Amino acid sequence: MTRVVVTGLGVTSPFGAGVKAYWAGLAGGVCAIRPLTLIDASGFRCRIAAEVPEVGTGSARRSRADRLALAAAAEALEDAGLGAADRAGAALVVGAVGGGMLEAESWYWARTRGERAPRWAASLRGMLPAAHAETLAHRLGLDGPRHTVVTACSSGAVALAEAAELITDGVVDVAVAGGVDAVTRMCFMGFNALRLLDPEPCRPFDRDRRGMSIGEGAAFVVLESAERARSRGRRAHAELAGHGSTTDAYHVTAPQPQGEGMARAMRAALDAARADPTAVGYVNAHGTATPQNDRIEASAITQVFGAGRPLVSSTKSMIGHTMAAAGSLEAVATILALTHEIVPPTANLSTPDPEVEFDCVPRTAREAAIELAMSNSFGFGGQNIALVFRRV
Amino acid sequence: MSALPRREVVITGVGVVNAAVVGAWPALGAWLDRPASAPPRQLGRERPAVRLPEATLPGLIDPVDGRRLSRVCQLTVAAVRLAVAEAGLGPAAGLGVVVGSELGDFSSTIAFADGYLERGPAGLSALLFPNTVMNTMAATAAIAATARELTLTLNVPTIAGELAVARGVAAVAGGRVDAVVAGGVDELNPLVAQMLDVLGDGGLRGEGATFLVLEAESAARARGAAVLGRLTGAAWRALPARPWGVGRQVASRAIAEALARAGRSSPDWIYVSASGDGPRDVWESRVVATALGDRSVPSVSLASLVGHHAGVGALHVAAAAWTAQSGRLPTSTGATARVSGAGLVHGLGRGGGHVALMVEAA
Repeated sequence: MTRVVVTGLGVTSPFGAGVKAYWAGLAGGVCAIRPLTLIDASGFRCRIAAEVPEVGTGSARRSRADRLALAAAAEALEDAGLGAADRAGAALVVGAVGGGMLEAESWYWARTRGERAPRWAASLRGMLPAAHAETLAHRLGLDGPRHTVVTACSSGAVALAEAAELITDGVVDVAVAGGVDAVTRMCFMGFNALRLLDPEPCRPFDRDRRGMSIGEGAAFVVLESAERARSRGRRAHAELAGHGSTTDAYHVTAPQPQGEGMARAMRAALDAARADPTAVGYVNAHGTATPQNDRIEASAITQVFGAGRPLVSSTKSMIGHTMAAAGSLEAVATILALTHEIVPPTANLSTPDPEVEFDCVPRTAREAAIELAMSNSFGFGGQNIALVFRRV
Repeated sequence: MSALPRREVVITGVGVVNAAVVGAWPALGAWLDRPASAPPRQLGRERPAVRLPEATLPGLIDPVDGRRLSRVCQLTVAAVRLAVAEAGLGPAAGLGVVVGSELGDFSSTIAFADGYLERGPAGLSALLFPNTVMNTMAATAAIAATARELTLTLNVPTIAGELAVARGVAAVAGGRVDAVVAGGVDELNPLVAQMLDVLGDGGLRGEGATFLVLEAESAARARGAAVLGRLTGAAWRALPARPWGVGRQVASRAIAEALARAGRSSPDWIYVSASGDGPRDVWESRVVATALGDRSVPSVSLASLVGHHAGVGALHVAAAAWTAQSGRLPTSTGATARVSGAGLVHGLGRGGGHVALMVEAA
């Protein structure tokens, strides 16, 4: 079986550009959820989100999400030391949901209100989720197999799993994978309509949690076979040791109440990694802070790992729920926890939910030497994935 | 995808819902025997497009689902149910779902936005919002088919259906699922049609869904399932192009890999993704011609009969299985030509997405 390792990391997060800023924010327990500026939030109960403070340079004709993705993917490629020749055969898998919807909304809003609309070809060209992959491939010279996966909030993690399978199947030996989403009106309004947003920064696993916070960002990784990384003298950040994907087949928005699909994904990931649950030291939870998700995820984690262990935290407490980017941003957080031997905290957690039977690392990061860590992502439609990373 | 699948993959069920044909394998075969086109119709100022008759979906979807599901989800569920029923798979099957869609559910997205623009926050529909996320078709399909393994939605211009089938082949061949229902779906929407016009896609548009049940051959034979066709090679790659653009490079690694896996040097006939989108069709013909060298191979596209939509890619795979079995290749004139051997299903999309699948008789 081909081992898949992570040799490049790239992030654009509400803490700013780059992996370094991301880790500084996470390890510092900083909450980047602030008043929303990108869109008009008047009339809504919730008016906050975690926005990326500066979106990198690049053509203004590109969507905000494209620019977030380009900055993150370029950083990952540079970190991995992949030159043009390496890139030409590299696979690209992107997890996406909103595409360039923010710009398309601007056009549609103006058109509907009889205002002067932006040029619509420019607004709409990048609207579909697949636009990010096309932009990244074109700008970064990635001409290998390419696809875009849409599995709602688990898209970014699924992208990593898809890329890993391309490597283990022998199709390619190097791939770029990750997820991206920008704040959009549709997403913000939709979760408001579902009454799933907390007017205050979200508090995952808190007894008094009231819902999630929206965020935005992008994270990409370079995956390659361990043999290839070794042959070119690259030290890996971690091994992507296994993943498990399942579907609830229960409800379009609500998770299966017993967390059966979530637990099955975690067990499948552990099986793929040939790992015993007791070997896992940290779980980066999906942890949206909705009453329902956190209760069901906590139950599923307990089913798999038993009560009281391992350490569990939700980095959404600091950067919000970044939708299609969440799975890959949290995968990077998990890898950084392994490499730094520090577990990022669950910010804003002051009163742990008594139904949650494990240590959620409240407010302050914790030193912990970990060999194996898991990252959970669960999407609308009951689309569950767990990734297991091993220290190298 | 994979150049080296570990399990042989077969088709055991087909579900088709479009303007020209509705049903499973027998209905598809009857239509392909005398392939009639569904005439394009014009609504308002739009260009003519091939529309699904209004009476079709109510005949396939029960009233509860008809109220609960968006139209594109209804298309998906109807075709998936036809395919799974034909395959005879029960709820206990380790079934996955791969949905290819080029456009998703724009009708719901626009309706959701209009609610806000007309009435402010009070006009937002919590029921419509989930449909604005493109994986809702896959979620409803998974519920309808009790599919509890891997579920994916793939989005790519032009070739979403072909890609979904290729990804499904990889999942079964690699042993990650026992069976998968894979295919494509799209619906017509006036605003989307305008958008595609602006972006330069001038092809004949249609709507509908086609899904296939793909299984490991050993498992299908063991349970006595009727095998409708074999997928002996599948690969996806990309050719350089600008986003939504048409490229110049014509050397196809996808075709070469699919042929190599099937152990063949050339296909005997081809289903191509040509849809009347002139620049893209020309590019595809040059890519195919380069791959074939001097060999002349008959080719056809059913997009000219049903209008291009993401279901056409899976429709081509099902049709290729019928051609391999019957020895007849449909033509756009309503006749069929005699052929033999193995066929290639080829897709080349705007932006450079590129899929090749080799199909042989059971």
